Amino acid sequence: MTGLETFVTHTLHGIQYGFVLFLIASGLTIVLGILDVLNLAHGELFALGAYVGFTIIGYLTGLVAPPTTLSTQLVFLGVVLLGAALTAAILVPVGVFLETTFFKPIYGRDEVYQIVLTFALLLIIKDVNKLIWGPSPLRLQDAYGGINSIPVLSRVGLTYPTYNVVIIVIGLVTVAGLFWFFNRTKTGRIIRATAINREMATAIGVNTGRTFTLVFALGAFFAGFAGALALPPRFASLDMGANPLVLSFVVIVIGGLGSLRGAFVAALLVGVLSRWAIWQYPPAELAAPFAIMAIVLLVRPEGLFGTWGEMG
Amino acid sequence: MSLLELTAVDAAVAGFDVTHDVSLSVGEGEAVGLVGRNGAGKTTTFRSIMGLADVTAGSIRFRDEELTELPADRIPSRGLGYQPEDRKLFTGMTVEENLRLPIWSLGDERGIDDEDAVVDDIYDVFPELEERCEANVENLSGGQAKMTAVGRALSLQPDLLLLDEPLEGLAPVVVSNLKRHIRAINDRGIAVLVAESNVTHVPDIVDRIYVVERGEIVASGDPEALAEEPEIQKLMQGSGV
Repeated sequence: MTGLETFVTHTLHGIQYGFVLFLIASGLTIVLGILDVLNLAHGELFALGAYVGFTIIGYLTGLVAPPTTLSTQLVFLGVVLLGAALTAAILVPVGVFLETTFFKPIYGRDEVYQIVLTFALLLIIKDVNKLIWGPSPLRLQDAYGGINSIPVLSRVGLTYPTYNVVIIVIGLVTVAGLFWFFNRTKTGRIIRATAINREMATAIGVNTGRTFTLVFALGAFFAGFAGALALPPRFASLDMGANPLVLSFVVIVIGGLGSLRGAFVAALLVGVLSRWAIWQYPPAELAAPFAIMAIVLLVRPEGLFGTWGEMG
Repeated sequence: MSLLELTAVDAAVAGFDVTHDVSLSVGEGEAVGLVGRNGAGKTTTFRSIMGLADVTAGSIRFRDEELTELPADRIPSRGLGYQPEDRKLFTGMTVEENLRLPIWSLGDERGIDDEDAVVDDIYDVFPELEERCEANVENLSGGQAKMTAVGRALSLQPDLLLLDEPLEGLAPVVVSNLKRHIRAINDRGIAVLVAESNVTHVPDIVDRIYVVERGEIVASGDPEALAEEPEIQKLMQGSGV
């Protein structure tokens, strides 16, 4: 592999990693921007998405032929994506339940209630995952390898997993969809208005309670989607929610607390720069995102962008 | 029967009593002023009507329905439009988005079938806004921002418009322009309740006024006659009279 190929491969890895981070962080930052709640349990919704995805994708892929030819590999890819979408849809009622049952009573109360509640939910969801799927890590057989057999970048002489290309494409579509939703649809702009000024939104007739539930469900949807999509190359495990949660915090701090555009830029920044750091100096893997955060905060203490509602 | 009737309303902000025993009424299509110095209780009275302040005693009825029993987000659906004192425009959005947001939220419930027609109607009242319809609200002048806030309050085709200090902080030429617009709105049959700290502004806009001081209504009647009264002049000293 030439130096340029290595550079491109690591950059693509970083972009793919950045998109996964964005999918997780987008939900966290939307909930923070509108509900004013820092949800420590968000990483566990990501893990729940991986476990539910394991069951659904595992079931669906069992219904189709093994990915041995191009056509069956494409069917396999379609089934995996369908499973991820179904997983995300299942997380919606979970989000609605959590918001209406646990979060509603703590709105407007001291942050310590949020911390205690969301940390308790983190532990509860982890235990529920353990109760249903057991303590051992779970991995989907065939899915990753099957999809990677579809030749995409190998046609241009680049060795890079096709599944990661799929993640990048889905990430791009999701980002475009999210920005379209918040900038072009009536519901999206009502949500933004609620984020900008909750009281004035009420004074024009917005049911802010229902908006909050919708926003939390949206956050759960994207956490679940990210969890299911992240599953094929890795194991679903009980500790898989912790690292993405911490990195999502890093992303939303770099981007500007509650800024969706900031989360997008920051996720790609963290993803790519982290991969470059790992490539050049592997021991920097854990420290790289935090070093990036420290540098950004030194230059722009408020993060790269402003508040969420104003930026879309 | 009055369109809006406040009876012995006490209201609190952050646990502190601000208004006491406030009673006032606005009839169908009437233009009424609520005049008082800054901090006298005008804004709290308006916020009480809109369900945004804590009403601890008394009654607020609109078309004979008790508003204090409704959640705040249901009150606009009854036919009340509200322009807050500090405008509270939705930043990061255009003038037209600000005008359309209430329709997107409650248009169906208010029986608004033709959203564009409502917005065009607002542009008829405020032609200045049509020229700036695609501008972000952060880029508006003070007068344009006030017009946008009033236009937004009009977008649900209310029966009663609450305007909290619509003329405050505007250049004299803009003030006279906005007064003309407010009159035009009232001429369309929309009742208007205007809060104002400068008593000399209100005779051009309203038919009668209430004077509020330290959270209580201390006088009411013809605006020009009250503006001439020494007691009222003394009361309004320091408020630009």
